Amino acid sequence: MPSLRTAAAATLFLMAAVPLAAAAALALLAAADRAAWQALAQHPLTLQALGYSLWTGLASTALAWAGCAWLLCQGFVRRSLAKTLSALPVMLATPHAAFAIGLFFLISPSGWLLRLVSPGVTGLDWPPPWPTVQDPWGLGLIAALVAKELPFLLWTAATQLLRDDVHQRLAVEHHVAQTLGYTPGRAFWHVVWPQLAPRMAWPLFAVLAYGLTVVDMAIVIGPASPPTLAVQAWQWLQDADTATNAQGAAAGGLLALTVALCAALGLFASQWAVKPMQKAWRNQGKRGVEGPHHKQKESQTGVAPLLWPLLALYGAVLLALAVGSVAGVWTFPRVWPQQWSMGAWHSVWSSRTTLGHTLGLAVCASAVALVCAVAWLELAPRHWDKALRPLLYLPLVLPTVLWVLGVYGLALHTQLEGRWAGLLLAHALAALPYVMLALSPAYQAFDPRYAQVSASLRHGPWRFVWGVKWPLLRRALAASAAVGFAVSVAQFVPTLYVGAGRFATVTTEAVTLASGGQRSLTSAYAWLQFLLPAGGFALAAWVGRPRRFRVAP
Amino acid sequence: MTLTVRIDEISSERAVVQRSLAFAVAPGDVLTLMGPSGSGKSSVLAAIAGTLARKGQATEDGPQGLRFTGAIHLDGSDITPLPTAQRGVGLLFQDDLLFAHMTVAENLLFAVPPGPRKDRQCQVDAALAEAGLAGFGARDPATLSGGQRARVAMMRALLAQPRALLLDEPFSRLDAGLRTQFRSFVFDHLRARRIPAVLVTHDAADIADPAHVMHLESAHAG
Repeated sequence: MPSLRTAAAATLFLMAAVPLAAAAALALLAAADRAAWQALAQHPLTLQALGYSLWTGLASTALAWAGCAWLLCQGFVRRSLAKTLSALPVMLATPHAAFAIGLFFLISPSGWLLRLVSPGVTGLDWPPPWPTVQDPWGLGLIAALVAKELPFLLWTAATQLLRDDVHQRLAVEHHVAQTLGYTPGRAFWHVVWPQLAPRMAWPLFAVLAYGLTVVDMAIVIGPASPPTLAVQAWQWLQDADTATNAQGAAAGGLLALTVALCAALGLFASQWAVKPMQKAWRNQGKRGVEGPHHKQKESQTGVAPLLWPLLALYGAVLLALAVGSVAGVWTFPRVWPQQWSMGAWHSVWSSRTTLGHTLGLAVCASAVALVCAVAWLELAPRHWDKALRPLLYLPLVLPTVLWVLGVYGLALHTQLEGRWAGLLLAHALAALPYVMLALSPAYQAFDPRYAQVSASLRHGPWRFVWGVKWPLLRRALAASAAVGFAVSVAQFVPTLYVGAGRFATVTTEAVTLASGGQRSLTSAYAWLQFLLPAGGFALAAWVGRPRRFRVAP
Repeated sequence: MTLTVRIDEISSERAVVQRSLAFAVAPGDVLTLMGPSGSGKSSVLAAIAGTLARKGQATEDGPQGLRFTGAIHLDGSDITPLPTAQRGVGLLFQDDLLFAHMTVAENLLFAVPPGPRKDRQCQVDAALAEAGLAGFGARDPATLSGGQRARVAMMRALLAQPRALLLDEPFSRLDAGLRTQFRSFVFDHLRARRIPAVLVTHDAADIADPAHVMHLESAHAG
């Protein structure tokens, strides 16, 4: 029934693509106010805030990219790629905001790091007035961004490398280069990396866009006066004055332009500077020198040394949140609290509608996104899919402060603003691109001959998808649903803006509380913000576990 | 049950892969199609199975945008307009394509036509015994050897009671010893059940019956 299929695909298009396009158009419209741009240009904080955004965004992206490249190199040289990648799930499951909050409690003047060395080394009896968090150099924000984005980049590399054909070919080529006399490291940089890096251009772009425009992390740990432009825009958007709101929208537009410009410059630089340099270096034909410590086989195995500090950081951050949530009295130089208290968890429990909203929204949004993604991948003709992918990824690259204006406009036109259904729309639209990204590789790798075998056994299309295809893709389907769930839980700006502040979730609570100094309650919400998606991923792993057959006789 | 195939043209927008091809396969016979890669051997099978789009049909194109014109008859009736699931044409590929989430027995049961449960189970048990795999029903297909998996795939295709069977290089993944065994396993079953079959292969040793061989040349004319 090709016509029925096309009709279904067209319906889907109307359901998913039109809201996306409308939100994007409305967002751009909101940012196209001339007076607001003039006010923005004349505002004394604009330039400095933009400078902060550029500095933190570019520095964190560059560091994460370099760290990812180096870890992959070590993975190849030490043949420990699988081990390196196995550490990823926990790091990926930790939400950005929760990580920033945990890091805040770790490095703040009254944080764990200083407690560990006080008063013994530092001689401090009181938290010092040092600007270790929300520092005017943006270092805390950069550290948090690097620690969060590095695992994401590694994961995107893994999705390329875990395709058997790609990994085997690259591993063989890496080996061949070594038989030509290149050291394992040189072989990686000359042969593997130039083939791998271009495949990661889009994820890198997403990381850049995220770093330049992040709001929730920057509120928690970024510079405060002035903040980054994204946070400044967010504050303007929440103002009671409409002219200030318009200025916020213009700032969102400025951020979008900045992202586009940085991406274009980056592309230009990689074409005209990085690639020629790589080539010149390669054409020298130098084989590299084995360092004396590389002679022993032992030093060449095990995971890369950079991975341990990263893992330790995640462990410390999560532990800081867990301990902080049950800490009662905890005076400064003490490493552990004098008194433990369940007070924070009691107040979390007494406002359990917050938890209910979070769960309800996340379950429904991920279900809607999953159904849309599956229907799209099943039904959409290939050229439609190709044409519409860029539209689908718009929410990933547009600044949140700009995107949310479009979604809000959409909710306004459908009279859903400030309502649960409007929030569901916002969360589902946010989850959809991630669910599609997570599900597409498995769908595209699915052997089309299974469909032919099933049809040749006289089964219709429904029997095939229920009996064969979806059970075989169960793991990918469950994992994609968990990704959608995690994305929904982590929504901060859209939840407050489209929900008109009427719906609190664990994320909005955690980020809002973070500036208030209520350590234990903030920690409890941040810990929940980690626990929910982690639970989602664990459930997905259980649902997607391979079937256990009876042991062979 | 005779399979009659007439293909006027297999082509994409850019090139004609094959034209003016016609053959008939009698019950129990195996016609062997040979030819260089790119000569459209597999496309001929796809046309018979109903997985290759016909010209003027509003479905998506095949992998290389290939379409065909022609007619496929089974026992005198035209099956060209039917979808694959209603043709009763079985398929066997070079990979066994056993469903990884089902046991060996469930794979076979998936092929048995609807009916009383006991009957269907009996057919599965009989098929397992015929394949020399009695008692292997509850096993994970991944724990079987290559030869065993190939036999299960063949039994699965047969349990659907196909009116014709298409074999797309089904022996090429097996090593030499297994190959001879599995070849006679397949051909014996086809003969016993009087099913017409078309075999595509690179290897002259695979030829079932030297009297029924077609060599395809690629038609380079654009």
